Amino acid sequence: MSWPLSKVHLRSSSHKGFTLIEVMLSLALTSLILGLLSTGVYIVTEDWNRNSDVLDESLDEALVILQIDRALHGAFPHSFTNEENLTRQIYFIGEDNSLSWVSTVSPQRNAGLTAWELYSSELGVQLSLVPAYSDDPTQRHSQSEPRLILEGYDIEFAYLFEDLDERKVWRDEWVGEEMLGLPLAVYVNLIPFDEYEDRKQPIEIVARIKNNQHRSIRPNFLFGTQ
Amino acid sequence: MLSHFKVASKSQVASKAQVTFNGQVTAVTKITAGARIKSNEGFTLLEVIVALTITGFILGGLFSLVAGSKRLAWTSEASLVRAARLRAATNFALLENEFSDVELILENYDYEARAGEMLEEPLRKTEASVFNLQSYEISNDDRDERVTGSRWIQMELPK
Repeated sequence: MSWPLSKVHLRSSSHKGFTLIEVMLSLALTSLILGLLSTGVYIVTEDWNRNSDVLDESLDEALVILQIDRALHGAFPHSFTNEENLTRQIYFIGEDNSLSWVSTVSPQRNAGLTAWELYSSELGVQLSLVPAYSDDPTQRHSQSEPRLILEGYDIEFAYLFEDLDERKVWRDEWVGEEMLGLPLAVYVNLIPFDEYEDRKQPIEIVARIKNNQHRSIRPNFLFGTQ
Repeated sequence: MLSHFKVASKSQVASKAQVTFNGQVTAVTKITAGARIKSNEGFTLLEVIVALTITGFILGGLFSLVAGSKRLAWTSEASLVRAARLRAATNFALLENEFSDVELILENYDYEARAGEMLEEPLRKTEASVFNLQSYEISNDDRDERVTGSRWIQMELPK
């Protein structure tokens, strides 16, 4: 009959409350569980936010690419008078990494024509938009504030040219002033920077320019004489 | 989830109180020692399993949420790239029509353009023309995607 007595003794001692070790252990366990749960929730919300940012970004990119596509399709042989030699010039300056052109498409839905300028910078592709009046828009482009539209992308252009043998070849340069017209089509290649290579893919745009001849300025090779 | 945790801790406190209450009662009424020892043992296997299962469900739900949002982000990116490629392929196919020998430039040929048959001639034409309507198809065999359309092509002689 000795064991029930010892149990009773133990029992009565446990009535005093929790021991320090028990309290510490339970607090440690509780904080461990709470910590685990809260870090879990934190990781989940962080990841969720990052993914929704990626979603927003890819939606923006899709819209930007569609706008560039539309603006190139709507290119217009805009001409202005060169004040130095008083000749009529067509505004279209195409290099291999920048392009300035006038389009009937304007993102702000302004009336009239808009002069677009796309070029690559250290951060990504920059866009500058100014209204195209009857003068040379180059000056206004240099004064306007460009916007970073595609972050982490490099931009390259090529211009479709028809030579005298009716062969169609892509050139990496097109100056409207010399060619006296617009190219038949523009090819745009958007290449992601090296640090984004695993996340982003190259995107290509082909835009045909229907409106590639000015109503009075004609290219030399069509008529033989200027 | 926090509220769930609170409920759990409350029930734990409640069971503890019951234990001490029982203890006091046993101290007075002297119920057999065996019953008291049993109540001091701790959680039963069943309780532990239930608790673990609930925790597992909650954690599983959280991580499937993450996986779902990640998948959504990737698929949106992939569909943007696919739409852009299809658009480029279509525009290039339209370019080819009038200018039949365009130098190739696209770097990605996931989408292949194929010329189809000439569309049926109208019953009556007022004038002979070098242009004719032709159907074309742009397809990606890997994904089994197909886009069809028609384009003007230039013939050698007026018809």
